[in-house]
Amino acid sequence: MNKQRWETRPLDVWNKAKEMRAKWQQSIDTAATERVLLAQGNVGWSIGFPALRVIEDNPVGAMMANKSDEFSRICRVAGEVMGWGREICGYQLNCWGAMYLGHQQDGSKFPMRDMVIPFPDPCDQHTKRGQAPMDYSPIPRWQENWPLYTGPRDIDREKAMIEDRVYCTVYMIEEIERIFGQKFDDERFIESVKVSGGIQPYAQDVSRFMQHIPSPLSQKDIYSFYTLGGLTKGDPAETVAFWKALRDEVEWRVQNNIAAVGNERYRWMETHPPPWHFLKYYRYMEKYGAVCIGSQYSHMMAGAFEIKPDGTWGPRAAFVGFGKDRQIKTREDAIRAMIGTEARGHRFKDDEVIRPYALNDFAKAYKVDGAILPLWRCGVGCTVTRKEQGLRLSEMGVRVLHYEGSQPGDRTDLDANRLLDQLDVWMESQGLRKLED
Amino acid sequence: MITAGIDVGIESLKAVVLKDGKVLARGTGLSGGANRARAVEQVWSNTLAAARLSPSDVSKIIATGQGKHDVRFAHDHITEPVADAQAARFLYPGATSVVDIGADQVRVITLGPGDSILEVVMNQKCAAGLGILLKSMARTLGMTLEEMSSLPDNSSGNATVNDGCSVFAEMDALGLLNRSIPREEVARAVIEAVAVRINSILNNKIKPAKDTTVLIGGVSRNTAVINALKRRSRINFLIPELAEYAGALGAALIAAG
Repeated sequence: MNKQRWETRPLDVWNKAKEMRAKWQQSIDTAATERVLLAQGNVGWSIGFPALRVIEDNPVGAMMANKSDEFSRICRVAGEVMGWGREICGYQLNCWGAMYLGHQQDGSKFPMRDMVIPFPDPCDQHTKRGQAPMDYSPIPRWQENWPLYTGPRDIDREKAMIEDRVYCTVYMIEEIERIFGQKFDDERFIESVKVSGGIQPYAQDVSRFMQHIPSPLSQKDIYSFYTLGGLTKGDPAETVAFWKALRDEVEWRVQNNIAAVGNERYRWMETHPPPWHFLKYYRYMEKYGAVCIGSQYSHMMAGAFEIKPDGTWGPRAAFVGFGKDRQIKTREDAIRAMIGTEARGHRFKDDEVIRPYALNDFAKAYKVDGAILPLWRCGVGCTVTRKEQGLRLSEMGVRVLHYEGSQPGDRTDLDANRLLDQLDVWMESQGLRKLED
Repeated sequence: MITAGIDVGIESLKAVVLKDGKVLARGTGLSGGANRARAVEQVWSNTLAAARLSPSDVSKIIATGQGKHDVRFAHDHITEPVADAQAARFLYPGATSVVDIGADQVRVITLGPGDSILEVVMNQKCAAGLGILLKSMARTLGMTLEEMSSLPDNSSGNATVNDGCSVFAEMDALGLLNRSIPREEVARAVIEAVAVRINSILNNKIKPAKDTTVLIGGVSRNTAVINALKRRSRINFLIPELAEYAGALGAALIAAG
């Protein structure tokens, strides 16, 4: 029995996204032969160096977990043999293991990094990711600050925190110039910041369109796009053009009630990354007519949102002088623009921690019935505040399911069959039976 | 109308046949491990014989429990909390929560208005502190489950075992025996660990009400565990006479519509 209620159809932009991701992957693999420097990390200003590419462990480790359980297990063991604990981030152990083994899943040579610029992060293990590559090669490593303040809004403090990050960034750029002898191209960097600024408004529209019933996209769709322009860096103009095409297509889907899940009757949200080796649980939920409308994490390209006084869902307001209207003329201006209002934790994930009801607002905006909040033991999405968030969501009538696992890139302690049983229990206890089997 | 419910657990099978809201017959047996489907047929056959019925006399059969899909002749399957909730409401109309303690799962179900369920909390993958641990530890200590069940609730607290992991609990127990701690004292430590584990799940989200919480499942037959759990949780559990059959009863009730 498949109670189709809405028309569904594949996305036209799908192949373009796939092509862009493949191009990025290729650019990492060929960096050494092209005599381009490769940095472990994720910083937006790397484009200012004409011959520097950055690669973060998140997408690589996640992809390894998704594509080959066997290889990612071998990698994690290789990491453990080198003395790293089993309990650390699975993305890290997958990537470090491949580095120690010296090859990637397809047998090709592991692209060794030339330097480390870890993505600064206040609450999990991103910042530690550079340690193993730094020690192994060895290679230089820098570390950017990420000041965080959890008190009431304070513009002067905010400005000081942003200036601290500007100082760190300028210092790193100058050091890379000094050590590697590569000149930083300010014009190219400034232009890139200006162009890339065009992504967010399109991403915000895409995010808002998902409030529509039926949802035009589901979580598994968003996961195919959300790294483009963020973790996966390509040509800025091409990336903006992609987001515009995606935005236009999603708007059309909304206007024509084209659904991600044709039998949508239940909407659920989640937090942070899923078990990448077990994405089939999204499909499993669709058997109940349940669509995952995403998470603050997967909507990250849209930035932090808030419920406005008139009840609408919109991007969080920037402070005066911190908005998009700023002039970008110098390296420092461009860095400030890149940081935006992210200091003080205006990013999606700090937002969850600092604003206790951030997830409730998200649930309200997207009209969700349920929330699945994984309890990861470590790494990305570590379980800080997750149980409290569950209680708050329960208070507003959102049904909450928690499940346990090691980390999204590590399948060791996730009991997949148990999770499917839990999903059955969860849905049936809400009076919903499978529409198809 | 005659209906039936079959609850296929990890350790045991339970079948209940209902006619007009009254239990005609019930049957139980070991779940059979890899031969579970055959064990189900055996228990079902015995239960029908006890009720003097033939399979065609039963209008609808609903299976529940973790092995529910091994009941190949069932008309439908439902998840365990739905069956538990139905049984609890039938047995105690004023019930507000149900706690089902089985071999490897504990489920805490908060009942809502009508037939609704407000919340279900379960243990995660580890079966530490549940029925299967009790069975394993009874074997290790050379005791029967009945002997463990009849131990007085007077633990000195001097002997303790891990309450988060069955493997560690067993290692701790062996260590205590090696130090010449009497096996009754070790058994009480195991019982206390079980109570601690279950109580932590009871407190996972919303603690069940003191006087309107129904306790079902195989472990509800273990007096020593229940005494320890009552002491820790301060809940005066309502324990039905056929507590271990509650899942099957709930399924049969749902089959009756």
